[in-house]
Amino acid sequence: MSTLNLKDIQGIIARGYGELEAGCYILLSIRDAKAARAWLGRLAARVTPADERPAEQALNIAFTCNGLKALGLDKETVETFSHEFQDGMASDYRRRILGDSGESEPAKWAWGGPGNVPVHILLMLFALNEEARQKFCEMLSQDFQSGGVEQIGETLKAVVLRDEASNCSKEHFGFCDSIAQPFIEGLGKTGPPANTIKAGEFILGYPNEYNLLTERAMVKAERDPQGILTPDAEGSGNRDLGCNGSYLVFRQLQQHVNSFWQFMEEATRDASGKSHPDARIRLASKMVGRWPSGAPLVLSPNADDAALGKENDFAYYATDPHGFKCPIGSHIRRSNPRDSLEPHRGTEKSIAVNKRHQLLRRGRAYGQPVAASMNPEDILHATATGERGLHFICLNANISRQFEFIHQTWVNNPKFDGLYNDADPLIGERGEDEQKRQAAIFTEQTAPLRKHVSRLPQFVTVRGGAYFFLPGLKAIRYLASI
Amino acid sequence: MAHQVALTVRVPIKPGQMDKLRQELALVNGDIEDNELVPFARLSRVHFARFVILDEAQDLRGNVINPTLVFASNVDAPLKNYLDELMAIAREGLDRIFSNGEGYPAPAARTDESRIAYLMARSIKTQAFYINTIGRTVEQVRQEASLRDAIEDFLTRQQATGAMEAWPAQRIIAAVQEHVRTEPSLAWALKRAQGLALWWRLKELVRFILIVLVLLALTPFLILILPLWLVLLRFHEKRDARAGNLRLSSMQRGELESFEDHVVQNQISAVGHIKPGWFRALTVRALLLALSFSVRHVYNRGDLGTVKPLGLVGVNTIHFAQWIMIDEGRRMLFLSNYDGSLVSYMDDFVNKVAWGLNAVFSNGALYPKTDWLFLHGAHDEQGFKAFLQKHQIKTQAWYTAYKQYTALNLTNNAELRAGLFSNLREQERTGWLQRL
Repeated sequence: MSTLNLKDIQGIIARGYGELEAGCYILLSIRDAKAARAWLGRLAARVTPADERPAEQALNIAFTCNGLKALGLDKETVETFSHEFQDGMASDYRRRILGDSGESEPAKWAWGGPGNVPVHILLMLFALNEEARQKFCEMLSQDFQSGGVEQIGETLKAVVLRDEASNCSKEHFGFCDSIAQPFIEGLGKTGPPANTIKAGEFILGYPNEYNLLTERAMVKAERDPQGILTPDAEGSGNRDLGCNGSYLVFRQLQQHVNSFWQFMEEATRDASGKSHPDARIRLASKMVGRWPSGAPLVLSPNADDAALGKENDFAYYATDPHGFKCPIGSHIRRSNPRDSLEPHRGTEKSIAVNKRHQLLRRGRAYGQPVAASMNPEDILHATATGERGLHFICLNANISRQFEFIHQTWVNNPKFDGLYNDADPLIGERGEDEQKRQAAIFTEQTAPLRKHVSRLPQFVTVRGGAYFFLPGLKAIRYLASI
Repeated sequence: MAHQVALTVRVPIKPGQMDKLRQELALVNGDIEDNELVPFARLSRVHFARFVILDEAQDLRGNVINPTLVFASNVDAPLKNYLDELMAIAREGLDRIFSNGEGYPAPAARTDESRIAYLMARSIKTQAFYINTIGRTVEQVRQEASLRDAIEDFLTRQQATGAMEAWPAQRIIAAVQEHVRTEPSLAWALKRAQGLALWWRLKELVRFILIVLVLLALTPFLILILPLWLVLLRFHEKRDARAGNLRLSSMQRGELESFEDHVVQNQISAVGHIKPGWFRALTVRALLLALSFSVRHVYNRGDLGTVKPLGLVGVNTIHFAQWIMIDEGRRMLFLSNYDGSLVSYMDDFVNKVAWGLNAVFSNGALYPKTDWLFLHGAHDEQGFKAFLQKHQIKTQAWYTAYKQYTALNLTNNAELRAGLFSNLREQERTGWLQRL
């Protein structure tokens, strides 16, 4: 329908900059609104748009609600942003629905929580290698002081854990990650219809999967005297601040890799204490929904098959309605149920509804692997130091219907698809009291009788997070001009 | 086993007593199961209950509607048993709450009879009362949940010792049956769930048949007026006042959110004005009659809205819901008890039964524009969500008797119990075991 204005869309929506393997995230606090706006005006020229394929470096920028306020955006405009964005990820309600309790509660976060310096701006930098990245970082940070902004904490460095054998990038537990990314209608790459999503699900200002425009922030015409912003396509007379932008969800997820494999080891030891390495990997894969190579359990239920590592064109209902191949509660099945939920399971209609709850993931791992080989045997014998995990970053036009819905109604829901007590085995909330921990179960559907694995420890701890607005380029220039 | 009834009491709030009332209700909600006023967990027949304050409002003509308190309970019949138990357990608490309402018996005149008379005199009719599964009592829900827990426990312990390795389904089920037989607290599970009384089912069947016959008899008349009705409908749809910006402020949304998602289920109370004019007044009454008929005689076994011939799939996450016309037909009060988040509830409705929402709620002022009653309307996803959230009001106190079970869980538990001692055929056995 409407062609995407790639010049006005920030590059990170169109691509994850896979070739630029050195990446980092910088959190900033605004100290001086006027200076910061001037700094933003200078920075705007460096922000990478979607119509460029950067060969050497890329830069993208996003703002929290507090950040927009600190920048001097007027109250009336701020209130046109979505409620979730205004409320923030660390609010009482969102803490509850996202399951950020116990060790993951915002009060304990390293950033983004009530006890931390408020995050205003997120800079995402990407470069060819570590050396180039450092230079890029240094060059930008030289401008911070005169730009009225101050870095919060350390630079969050990201790594790409490339696995040559599987030709994929892995996450720290040892599984190939980022395989199932939706194809955006209107962007260059095309894919199967079942996985092609309307641009409006990820980019504000374009039709979404309801064929309507998602609400986005608007500026009264008199507040944009220079006419920087695009006029509202729906004819309200307002200027569209959200146009070509998106909402960005960032959660720093620490992964307890040793604890993960230790649990698998103990759960699969036989009565005589003997280890079963194959069973270990099998149990972990059942929890994930794919084998370490990325092969989906639905297509290869009994053994890993590297040839299927990148396979993403599959569905659940026809071949695996009961979860015998890929457990109902496994991570990938519940974060993207495909055709397995009502209405009309197994059909186009089910997939059509599923398309309304999709995410574009753009995050990267951080920290050194426990064992470079990623082999569980090596991990179990290694001692881990330092922190490692995933900088989980995703983009969506509607935080409530997409990210929060997926997390609350599917991932962190012990009642997902008829289950009773199974929250996501990887990232689900475990609960703080003994009773809840006992109830932390993973069910492996099996014929004739299901197998339970219980007392799952917390494998992932949230270390920080925030909801950001990723503006279009005109919007950035507008923010610099207010 | 009994069917379920809704008792909805509505009383005007005495001028100057609003603050006191809010305080008392806050106490109730502070520990809904065991508070000192109405310890709901001790009421054995209550599925869901709530206290809602309808604040002072103006109707579409500017007339004031005084503030009222609504006390709604969804209970197992007969109502008398509920009221007697309510008195025994909470008479003083009810005094503290309802003494803030107009006309409550003076202290000297308070007896259980006068209290009950007061509640009954101020009870209002529910035009449509949706019950997920008619006949499933609180006792049945609790028993079947405990049965499932016992079976799960037994199986998990057996599996931990390695017994049951490679056992066929038949042997596993036999072991479960044996275990249940030896457990005195599960003696009730040896019998099937007591169904609804035969006389009651016959009465309902007769009612169903009579209504169908009446409809058939009226069909020629209905066919005659249909075109006229359609013309009037289109006239009104084009002319109805459009909603401006219905978005709640972030703060308003935040206030409502603080009450949500504490347990597996949620509730919503919403109140809205009916569009003015006799056409809308008649249409909404007719549609509520149709809704009432369908939820009482058709959608009473776990589903709401499936119409197989039309390929429409319904919603299976609602426990109880009430549609109530109030204030001489000027407003509608909607009370619902459902599973999951409000967002997923609204999403479910938009994705599955938008047509049903449109039929009933399009008679409400400011509803997103419909065409031909069923089209558009709720298909405007954000427009519908804004409409519902704009009309959502705070529920001061809310009780659920089974806060950790979804409707799907309850149905599953019932099927589990039903199949345990019935002679299952080979292929039914694996199906039964998959329920665990």
